[in-house]
Amino acid sequence: MPSQPILETRDLSIAFGEYKAVDKVDFLINTGDCAGIIGPNGAGKSTFFNMLTGMYTPTAGAVFYQGVNITRLPVEKRVALGMVRTFQLVSVFDSLTVLQNMIPPVDRFRRQYANKRLFYFGEAESPEVVECCRTWLAKVGIEKRGREMTANLSYGEKRKLEIAMALSLEPKILLLDEPLAGLSDVEIKDVLGLIGGLRGKFTILLIEHKISQIQNLVRRLSVMHEGRMIAQGEPLEIIHDREIRRIYWGAGAE
Amino acid sequence: MGAAVCNWCKRLEMPIIVFAYLALIPLLSVNMASEIIIFSIYALSYNLLYGFMGRLSVGPMLFLGAGVYGAAMCCVYLTANPIACIAAGIVCGALLGMLLGPVTVRAAGAAFALVNMAFNQVGFFMIQTGLAGWTGGSDGKSLYFDPIGPLDFNKPNHVFGLALVCLLAAFFLMRRLTESPFGIIIKTIKENERRGNFLGYNIYGTKLLVYVITAAVSAFAGALYAIMFGYVTPSFISPARNIEVIFATLIGGRGNIYGSLLGGAIFILISSYLPNIIQRWELFFGLILLASVFWFSKGIPGIMDLFGPKKQDVNASAKGGLR
Repeated sequence: MPSQPILETRDLSIAFGEYKAVDKVDFLINTGDCAGIIGPNGAGKSTFFNMLTGMYTPTAGAVFYQGVNITRLPVEKRVALGMVRTFQLVSVFDSLTVLQNMIPPVDRFRRQYANKRLFYFGEAESPEVVECCRTWLAKVGIEKRGREMTANLSYGEKRKLEIAMALSLEPKILLLDEPLAGLSDVEIKDVLGLIGGLRGKFTILLIEHKISQIQNLVRRLSVMHEGRMIAQGEPLEIIHDREIRRIYWGAGAE
Repeated sequence: MGAAVCNWCKRLEMPIIVFAYLALIPLLSVNMASEIIIFSIYALSYNLLYGFMGRLSVGPMLFLGAGVYGAAMCCVYLTANPIACIAAGIVCGALLGMLLGPVTVRAAGAAFALVNMAFNQVGFFMIQTGLAGWTGGSDGKSLYFDPIGPLDFNKPNHVFGLALVCLLAAFFLMRRLTESPFGIIIKTIKENERRGNFLGYNIYGTKLLVYVITAAVSAFAGALYAIMFGYVTPSFISPARNIEVIFATLIGGRGNIYGSLLGGAIFILISSYLPNIIQRWELFFGLILLASVFWFSKGIPGIMDLFGPKKQDVNASAKGGLR
């Protein structure tokens, strides 16, 4: 069972005018795996992610989720299937409190949402929902800040909040778009520990710019360069491949 | 302790509102009080769209007008039962919202504001010229509503009572909607609508629903206007009057339902009494609007914060540290 593919792309491409941002990418990730995509800036990693999650519609090719073609499925339906993502620029709601940030994801798959009367007219911060929110916040270690405005959180705390929001959606596959970008060294250690603790619970796919930070975290590594997936394999294999080193670290390194 | 006090406030809230509006009668007049109440319903509906969801529309008069003319046409051509006329007005507004919403809510920012204004312009033209045979064109129509039992809405006191009950209903609806999980989704749209999508919510559907609710409640206020004034003219749908409700929302404070009541009252007072003192009162109106846009983005509640007890401003120091 664990070797069943959860997410697969075939010939996935997108072009913005003449520019091919992602070009015929075949990619596969198995259920329960933890994989990473690396590549230099502008390699098309985020664009590829955006097609996986439904933000962009590909110009060609297809995305399969658990064997079903979801290429044109709206974003919110993918979330309902268990596909959850975070963003490169941490995206939480600054104008709400930390707890209120947690309410939409916590509520989404609960009774309160199914019951339309409660959803439209019920109290948002009902004791049971607040309790549930606090549990999730505790898992990322920011439960003490629940009543504060999100704008007052540090960038690292916002990143943790974003991860808590993603976790509370109970993903089957979690897609993390540069989860370490913009964090301090201490925060990077925290967040890496957090992600490491999630391995095995569900499938994780993450994008990273710096190879060194995730080589111990992921089991498989894919390299993107100029819109194409140029290599896939074990992290160590990839790092020591001469051809990949040349492309990834550029001509200047040689 | 704090929560208990808060619960008491909420329990007393409706009586306080009723009392405040009753107190307006000896201070002003029954008609003026009714006008304030009805305008506040309109402001409440607009606040949901602009204050909570962050969509500035420059065409809300279209929906107010839909309610006014829906009720008026029902009165003239179908039945003069005032309840039926109010229902007709609300249905007209909601249907118009459902018709235009799929087009308008796809836009945001300036595009949203202008698309609404364009539709408002079309509506105004239809009422004034296109359908003049039915609506009476620029001359309008005078209306007479049948009494229902002891209730006769040609009497100002009865209109006041009706308006007050309707305001409480609208206020209660808005408070529930904005404090529910749905209300949080609406607020997230203001900040980052794509994010809500990735939390599993159909944001397009939410925006459409908010647009239709705003349209229906605006039309509700419009229908009450038709009953209160007893006549209709195209000025009830005039795009030139769009600024009124935007002003009320800005002055009262965006995203604050109490602010709609406050802003609504202030606007009606200014527009009724300032012309007695200064002929070109709109100048001062404009200056207040500028001040509220540039310095008091939270409206009067924001100004009161300046004089109120100083809170420990963690927010300001944190921001100061960052920049």
